[in-house]
Amino acid sequence: MKLVVNGKPFEVAVPPETPLLWALREEVGLTGTKFGCGIAQCGACTVHVDGKPKRSCVTSCGDVGELPITTIEGLATEAALHPVQQAWLEENVPQCGYCQAGQIMTTVVLLKAKPQPTDEDIDAALSANLCRCGTYPRIRKAVHRAAELLAKPVAAGGSK
Amino acid sequence: MTAWTRRGFLQGMLVGGGALALAACGGGGQAMRIEHADKTGDLVANLYITVLATGRVALIVNKAEIGQGVSTGYATLVAEELGVPVEHIDIHYADSNQEMRTSATMQITGGSTSTAEAFVPLRQAAASAREMLIAAAAQQWKVPAKECVAANGHVEHRDQKLAYGELTKHAARLDVPEKPRLKSPKEFTVVGKVDRRVDLRGKIDGSAKFGIDVQVPNMVNAFAIHGPTFGAKPIKVDGTRAKQRPGVIDVLAFDWGVAIVADKFWQARAAAADVAVTWDKGTLNGLDTAKLQTAMRMHDKGGLVSRDHGDANKAIEHAEHKIEAIYEAPYLAHATMEPQNATVHVTGDKAEVWAPTQSPTLAQAFVANAIGIDFGDVTVHVTLSGGGFGRRAMADVIGHAAQISQRVKRPVKLVWTRESDMTQAWYRPVYAAKVVGGVRDGKISGARMRVLSQSIALSAGDWFGAILSSLPRSVIDMISGAALAIFSSNSFGDPFSTEGIQNSPYRFGNFQLASEPVQTKLPVASWRSVGNSVTGFIMESFVDELAIAAKQDPFALRRTILPANSRQTRVLDALEKLSGWATPPPKGIGRGVARHQAFDTEVAQVAEVELVNNRIRVKKVYCVVDCGIAVNPDVIRAQMEGGIIFGLSAALDQEITLVDGVVQQRNFDTFPLLRMYEAPEIIVEILPSENKPTGVGEPGLPPIAPAVANAVFQLTGKRLRRMPLQRAWNERGAS
Repeated sequence: MKLVVNGKPFEVAVPPETPLLWALREEVGLTGTKFGCGIAQCGACTVHVDGKPKRSCVTSCGDVGELPITTIEGLATEAALHPVQQAWLEENVPQCGYCQAGQIMTTVVLLKAKPQPTDEDIDAALSANLCRCGTYPRIRKAVHRAAELLAKPVAAGGSK
Repeated sequence: MTAWTRRGFLQGMLVGGGALALAACGGGGQAMRIEHADKTGDLVANLYITVLATGRVALIVNKAEIGQGVSTGYATLVAEELGVPVEHIDIHYADSNQEMRTSATMQITGGSTSTAEAFVPLRQAAASAREMLIAAAAQQWKVPAKECVAANGHVEHRDQKLAYGELTKHAARLDVPEKPRLKSPKEFTVVGKVDRRVDLRGKIDGSAKFGIDVQVPNMVNAFAIHGPTFGAKPIKVDGTRAKQRPGVIDVLAFDWGVAIVADKFWQARAAAADVAVTWDKGTLNGLDTAKLQTAMRMHDKGGLVSRDHGDANKAIEHAEHKIEAIYEAPYLAHATMEPQNATVHVTGDKAEVWAPTQSPTLAQAFVANAIGIDFGDVTVHVTLSGGGFGRRAMADVIGHAAQISQRVKRPVKLVWTRESDMTQAWYRPVYAAKVVGGVRDGKISGARMRVLSQSIALSAGDWFGAILSSLPRSVIDMISGAALAIFSSNSFGDPFSTEGIQNSPYRFGNFQLASEPVQTKLPVASWRSVGNSVTGFIMESFVDELAIAAKQDPFALRRTILPANSRQTRVLDALEKLSGWATPPPKGIGRGVARHQAFDTEVAQVAEVELVNNRIRVKKVYCVVDCGIAVNPDVIRAQMEGGIIFGLSAALDQEITLVDGVVQQRNFDTFPLLRMYEAPEIIVEILPSENKPTGVGEPGLPPIAPAVANAVFQLTGKRLRRMPLQRAWNERGAS
């Protein structure tokens, strides 16, 4: 079957019930999306399907079909990091880093819906993503920072 | 400190440096250094530091990056003494190599030791490289070396200037300085100033490679099925149907469970439904933690006394107020975000490992033991770890992957499910502590503590016995010296179970500490801050109870039992100010304070707590830390934040319970982690210091549970003495 990942089509030889997570990691070869729990509890596997955040560990390839998929590897452009990634650098967010792709992917969608999120908005969106290292206070700061960067379209993004 | 080898500086052995792919090259010494420089233009100054002809610096870090920031810390120390910008340093993680051992004659990351251990030797390694580069420039210019200055990747003399990359070949021909000059802390310009972590980029763009991301040629993937009870062995396995599925290579039975091997992990995972297994009853003889904890509560015998000052019994007998309490803590899982995994390639009697491990040395030992080869024939490549917290010092999964690879004769990546990770783990030990204290004339007259816990040292004896025998003699001596022998001689008590009380700076006048191990067959291991994760809770809750009995402010009471003008009182003074303790909290908010010293770092915290529909909500935490010289202040802040949040998950909600030998918690739905909406605001202050740096990965954790319990008491008058505190609160009527 065909998957469209980060704007490119990929032919993947998996049965339709295969979780998208493993097709991305093993067939498409993009390992930035992480396996954490397998039951949609931790959010480490969050990707965008048709612009919406999805837990790829419980989303079957068959259900996704040829809808556009974006993974952490597809956020930055040739020229610049995504403003959310840039904010993550500025706030020194990651520790072990394992959950951060999921945190960033969730934040990107949050900021599309709420360009100036309140702390309550951040709680509502990001409480679905676990971090064992305890980077939540920095994630909160980085979401606000990313909102600032996004509000300044010309300055948005950093150097690659 | 002494574990860092002198030979490492002098010989400059080349070790595998990840992408740098420096070929392993024994022998070492100047001949090798010159040959390598002539071939590549690079100066292998020593085991840790290679200055490349490009001017970049390859730093081999002999520790695991588990999120604690060790790569940033080590790059900072090297940048300081070598005179290069931190951005010019590329990090490579050391393979297994006894020359790169760190603590306890092993390569191991644990005990919050990395910065303290490296502070002198790693700077010496960098200073040595700097002096070689300076000497090369001085010779070229025919000027005295002491007139040359090294900074920003260049050596300068008046108006002459050469980049390090232009000096490497010449420097390789010079002697390694016997005693390179180190900067005094007053001269530091980089230490304390670098606040951007060096390992961020790959962690925000998906390119960072963790163990689970390893790919090696010809690799196959394995999915493990574990039995329902802990340690269950498969008696009968029928993999016929599974083997007919596409991609499935084999279905193999081992003592620990069943492995399905397939081309792809998703194929192996899907085939698990087609494997029928009959299991035995496991290794725990029906262990039931509710019964165990009841028995521990009831148990009332002496235990081994390891600290005894004055006459605690008499002092308590003559007290006006006597406080008696039992503090309890459950088993806990580490629950690293990256589930346990390993990639191993066994060829004949040799094994190559790629794994997220905190100890290449123990990984070698586990593999050697698992497949019956020599310790020295196991090579370990260390990847990034998605969290460690002590779990990844245990290399059980690496041993299992080796067994599978040996059978299928191909490189195998074994990835555990979250359920296996949680139910077949090594756990933080269960605890029950009986404490008795007396107060007279508003002062503490004496205290007695008896700590019952499952012993990590004895558990290691049970579980490590065979594995230890795979280690080289020198390593065994050190490990057994550190834990097993001391414990079994029964002269010191269990060093892990009482750490934090045994070495507490409190001076009660009359004090007695005793401890006793409680053994089960459930393996226990170090879990972030080890014994301190419970002893901090015991001691600081107890001191709060004594303060209340003595009608004293908890800060003031602590000062009466701490050495005057000590780092403890300085940290408390700073915290009292930072938290605005003098001003009472608003209605509905409870405040509690706690302090603890772990791994030579002093941390004190104030927690502000409210109850929302009977849920304990921690709104804000003030934290003051004294960890000596702050090498990377923002990494220290991050570790305090992380320790507090990791500790809050345990304090409030987490427990591993067993019924009839079955671990009841299988995933994050039943072993919850604190989530964003409950994460408190955290304010960290680092006390300025000129003392040598001490660890920060673990010491942020111990004070948070007692600070919260003390705050709940202030708010409600109800003392919670059992973790997890939320359960204790829910069941408060019953106890």
